[in-house]
Amino acid sequence: MKRRLKRRDFLRIMGGVSGSTLVSSCGSGNGPKKFISYILPPEEGILPGEATFSPSTCAECPAGCGVSVKIREGWPIKLEGSPGHPVNDGGLCIRGQSSITRLYHPKRIGSPMLRNGSGKVRRISWEKAFSTVSETLDASRASGRTNLFLSGRTTGSLSGLIGMFCGKVGVKRLPEFEVYSHSEGKEANGLLFGERDVPRYRIENADFLLTVGADILETHVSPVSYTRQLSRAKSKEGFRWYHVEPHLSLTGANADRRIVVRPWQEAVFLSFLLRHLMEKGPRRGEFPREISEALPRMSVERVSEATGIPAGTLQEVADRIAHARRPLVIAGGVSTAHPGGLEVAGAACVIQWVTGAVPDLVDFRRRENYESVGTFRDMEDLTARLGGGEVGVLFLSRTNPVFSLPEEVGFRENLKKAKLSVGIGDLPDETMQEVDLFLPLSHSLESWGDVEPRRGIVSLQKPVLKTLHDTLSEGDMLLRLLHGSAGEGTASGYRDFLFDAWRKRFGESGRSAFLEQGYFEEPLPAKRVSLDGKKAASLLKGAQAGMKPGEPVLVLAPSLRTFDGRSRGLPLLSEIPDPLTTISYGRWLSVSPETAAGAGLKERQEVTVSSSSGWSQVLPVKVQPGLPAGVFVACRDFGESPPLRTEKRTGGTIEYIEKVTIGKTGKMAAIPILSGSPSQQGRGLIPDPVHRDEKQHHGRESLYPEHVHKEYRWAMAIDLALCNGCSACVAACYIENNIPVVGKKDHLKGREMSWLRIEPFYGEAGNVDFLPMLCQQCHSAPCETVCPVYAAYHNPEGLNVQVYNRCVGTRYCSNNCPYKVRRFNWFWHRWEKPLNRMLNPELQARGAGVMEKCTFCIQRIRAAKDKAKDGSRTVRSGEVTTACAESCPTGAITFGNLLDPESRVYRLAHSGRAYRVFEGLGTDPSVYYLSGEKGDPGKKSHG
Amino acid sequence: MDKHDKLARVEQDVLAAMKRPGIGYLAALGCSATLFLTLLGLWGYQITTGMGVSGLMNPVGWGVYITNFVFWVGIAHSGTLISAVLFLFRARFRTSFNRPAEAMTVFALLVAGLFPLIHLGRTWKFYYLFPYPTQRMLWVNFRSPLIWDVFAVSTYLTVSVVFFYVGLIPDFAIVRRHKEGLAKRIYGFLSLGWTGTRRQWKNYNQLYLFLAAFATPLVASVHSVVSWDFAMSIIPGWHTTIFAPYFVAGAIFSGTAMVITLVVPMRKILALDRYITDDHFESIAKILLFTSLIVSYSYIVEFGLAAYSGNPFEMEQFRYRALGDYTVMFWIMISCNSLIPLTLFVRSLRRNVKYLFVLSLFVNVGMWVERFVIIVSSLARDFDPYAWGTYSPSFVEVGITLGSFGLFFTAYLIFLKTLPVLSITEIMEHL
Repeated sequence: MKRRLKRRDFLRIMGGVSGSTLVSSCGSGNGPKKFISYILPPEEGILPGEATFSPSTCAECPAGCGVSVKIREGWPIKLEGSPGHPVNDGGLCIRGQSSITRLYHPKRIGSPMLRNGSGKVRRISWEKAFSTVSETLDASRASGRTNLFLSGRTTGSLSGLIGMFCGKVGVKRLPEFEVYSHSEGKEANGLLFGERDVPRYRIENADFLLTVGADILETHVSPVSYTRQLSRAKSKEGFRWYHVEPHLSLTGANADRRIVVRPWQEAVFLSFLLRHLMEKGPRRGEFPREISEALPRMSVERVSEATGIPAGTLQEVADRIAHARRPLVIAGGVSTAHPGGLEVAGAACVIQWVTGAVPDLVDFRRRENYESVGTFRDMEDLTARLGGGEVGVLFLSRTNPVFSLPEEVGFRENLKKAKLSVGIGDLPDETMQEVDLFLPLSHSLESWGDVEPRRGIVSLQKPVLKTLHDTLSEGDMLLRLLHGSAGEGTASGYRDFLFDAWRKRFGESGRSAFLEQGYFEEPLPAKRVSLDGKKAASLLKGAQAGMKPGEPVLVLAPSLRTFDGRSRGLPLLSEIPDPLTTISYGRWLSVSPETAAGAGLKERQEVTVSSSSGWSQVLPVKVQPGLPAGVFVACRDFGESPPLRTEKRTGGTIEYIEKVTIGKTGKMAAIPILSGSPSQQGRGLIPDPVHRDEKQHHGRESLYPEHVHKEYRWAMAIDLALCNGCSACVAACYIENNIPVVGKKDHLKGREMSWLRIEPFYGEAGNVDFLPMLCQQCHSAPCETVCPVYAAYHNPEGLNVQVYNRCVGTRYCSNNCPYKVRRFNWFWHRWEKPLNRMLNPELQARGAGVMEKCTFCIQRIRAAKDKAKDGSRTVRSGEVTTACAESCPTGAITFGNLLDPESRVYRLAHSGRAYRVFEGLGTDPSVYYLSGEKGDPGKKSHG
Repeated sequence: MDKHDKLARVEQDVLAAMKRPGIGYLAALGCSATLFLTLLGLWGYQITTGMGVSGLMNPVGWGVYITNFVFWVGIAHSGTLISAVLFLFRARFRTSFNRPAEAMTVFALLVAGLFPLIHLGRTWKFYYLFPYPTQRMLWVNFRSPLIWDVFAVSTYLTVSVVFFYVGLIPDFAIVRRHKEGLAKRIYGFLSLGWTGTRRQWKNYNQLYLFLAAFATPLVASVHSVVSWDFAMSIIPGWHTTIFAPYFVAGAIFSGTAMVITLVVPMRKILALDRYITDDHFESIAKILLFTSLIVSYSYIVEFGLAAYSGNPFEMEQFRYRALGDYTVMFWIMISCNSLIPLTLFVRSLRRNVKYLFVLSLFVNVGMWVERFVIIVSSLARDFDPYAWGTYSPSFVEVGITLGSFGLFFTAYLIFLKTLPVLSITEIMEHL
């Protein structure tokens, strides 16, 4: 009998064969390419498809916000603000969100590089790099040259290690270099209170806040912290915030009241307030005598004339501060970065003192650790030493003086006179391109570390992946250099060094808590400071001098997106437009509407800005509503080496260029201004308070049955009184949803891909409101009915979902969307390696020809529902939130289920402040905006 | 001349066009075909690179491609109007135009049908637009005007082709008589065994009448559906109830102009003056004038409605249309479609064929521009002022637009050499 293969046998054999083939092919021939490579595997094990979170600290700016790193299969894919962190408490700014792109930046330098005599750089090994440094250190010492160490602001254990390193190897440590050194404020505090540092301001406890130039929402010391506190303060009845500034900043745009002062006249204004406090204030009896005597007698009219502030306004501010129970004055930013800056800071200190803000609101116990930061003048001194040929090895760590210092200082040329300049950094910035030896630095997500952004608050940095390139942390570099030269019993690696230090500082159990939580708050004894009346009096005498800049003046403002220029290289930050101007790529010169009209300047026109010193730069014009006439504004990083001067007494920078002249080049610049109109054209996107209660009713007669939502109807409430346009949500959205960065060329064509954007709308008075615009998830959506293939479809949870695989790309949905929030993929977008590692695996990267849009982070909703399903329940209120809401530093965005009457979003959506954009169109959106002018939180009614 | 001679003369005159092509003809065909090949090349480039090679952007998601679609569908309309509607109205001058007009309809529809495909982001998934059974239970969205479009245009194409073909059957039989060899067999096959018996004529006339009656509502419905692509949206400048009649009138207007553009040179080159007389041109010029007046009226109504509505979006849209970024286009449209055709009130101009030819070119331009203005300026300035933006076409779009004319003229030139350019039997009937 012929034996025949049975069907079952056949399948069995096939199963065996294919299975074993599969197994044998698992060990790939391309070496060990580990898909999941944890440095520290989480305790519960690695679950593919499940995200884990690890605490860390953002290193993008000196504020030191706590972050929670979202990791998928071993790769960090997103940063979230760490809830409860003493600095930022869950919020994370646009720069912090974008800082993960620094880790995956394609241009990161991957190995040590040495420049040879002819100026060419080549890769070298770490051993060679260390031996070069050590040899040069010894040789310089022998030849009588000094070795120097310069870094950006450094706190925590690293600062200790640098000190130890410098001590042992015989290197002189220079004051740290920061463009925003707050030197005037520190100087004033040092003179008047004996504390040469930036105090911690407790805005949340104040009932009246007066900020003078301090851009607390953008770059001032700790913006996310201030923003959070402001939100808390605003929730209290009667809180008011006034902002005084010579130009227009995002901070000013968000104050309850913005007061424009003539440049450099802030001290006159503050003296006037002091005088008023002395005469009418609640503590007029306790005024130090020296101060009373020193205060100039100036009539309101004279002050008004000098400052350009109307007399009525002056009186109003004076009354407010006199009647407030806990007023707080913060001076800083461009208002102290001028020749009279010290007086401004000093006057602010005196007001703080006489209003009793010290020590409750102005807390020197938890000061911001800026004392080791040097000044502009220190850098001039360094340049002089370099020029004198007395420098051996110069370390330049995490700092970019070539870019930040003026050309006249001559840092770039003199840097070459050092025997060996050693750059420690990650991206090839201007300074790193000049140094002789480049030591590539690991990203904070690749290395151990800690920072102490505020006295007694230590925040952890913990590696979440192996270094992508052949890089080292700064601590490891220094320790290895120490081993090489001293050879004594220092800890083997920086990790051990840190663990030792933490055990000593926090104790064994404290260390474990620190490692788990990501931060540690040390108790500190209260600190009493007292005012030095004599010095205060002499400062106040100077305040009346009223220095005047040569007009017209160019103000160099800090940039929300790039800080002092350090974040310029991150592609995402150029992709997201500046919220005030809506310019994404490029630099620009903000010109007031009056000046533009007078000089016949048009938007996008190219002009040459020149100073009397012969410096000039070509910039395109942006007509900026709200900017006072005669004042031009450019971002601090608008060009390499702007002509800045040093303030004589404090050594700080004068961030003004006087007597600028503007000349037309006759050309138009290609600069992407994303907003189609600075005004809302009376269309009520943000309704006038007068019309707020006029509800437009729109009957909905339809042939089709209404949508039915059984368990969920997802909705969002955005509080416009809190939203300050900081654009952190936009960055979070880009990263969460794999939104491609398309670049300037497409931006010029109007093809930006942002699912969420901040729309600034200027009023006639130059006031500005910000409207975050995202898919409104309409209940009766215009996009859905017109899609021929049901790619735009209404899901049972009230979302307008977009089925990417089904989309054929007619673009009809986008045409028909009144909010214009749909984005079409005009090309195949690519993520340059290794940026592709950052892609969120929860959702696909869309191909060309497909429409895409916000889906309320449907992947997060999915995950929350899965989790709820495990517990046989529905998703609870607060269990799921969108990326934008999570990142928002002000907490303006609330997300939740509208069918749940217990949810916060339900309460807000049903409050008297809720309205929806273009309600009259009958689209029935699921995004509720809470209106309410920023200036009147007292009228708010929370449901 | 007796009747028989006259008939023979008609045959001879009309069929003279089907002689061996000359240099001029071949050159024209070569140019047209090259343009068409350019279209294919550019389209291929667009498919492989992405829609970004066009000038389209946010908020203007439709531009020149959809303009071309509406333009060519509009051109198609007067063919049906002349052949079907005028047939039903027993307008005798129709006889001189119906064959070229019907040919124009079919070719214009072929061209028009290409544009929805060209403008798709994922052309390779075009079949998603058809309701075909799939095991994934996916179905098209019948609420979407684009699906109505699919049906309207495909119905129209089918009916036009059938109508065109049926009208050709007796003529095929005549051509068969004049041909030899393979050509004879082909024309013989196409004539479906036509012998001209009474019974055949009776059936033929019944069918023709039926088809004419069937096609007539399509004149109104197809372009109404096309207009609803816009009117069913909520965009200011699109969302208006007058769009259907407005578009139908516009379609007939532009189609009639195109007929003049095509027939004037054809008459001259093929020496058909005897059959297409100045009287006939005067009649068609009257249609042109009449539809021009309807279109002008629609323009006025649109602005009137906007002004009267009190709707800020609508009012801003029409202010923008007349005075905004596309103001030049707008005034070209007004000049070509409303002002210049007013000269047709003068009888001598209506009878001046050269003048009519020039005028028809203006109207063609004006009507293309009209669609561009409606589509682009409405999208450029809708509800959210932040999202306003301006669009201008890229070289790919310009090339593809020229290429569409290439395809049209290629088809038309082939028609001239392969089919009787006038309806021989109908002319004979009217002798």
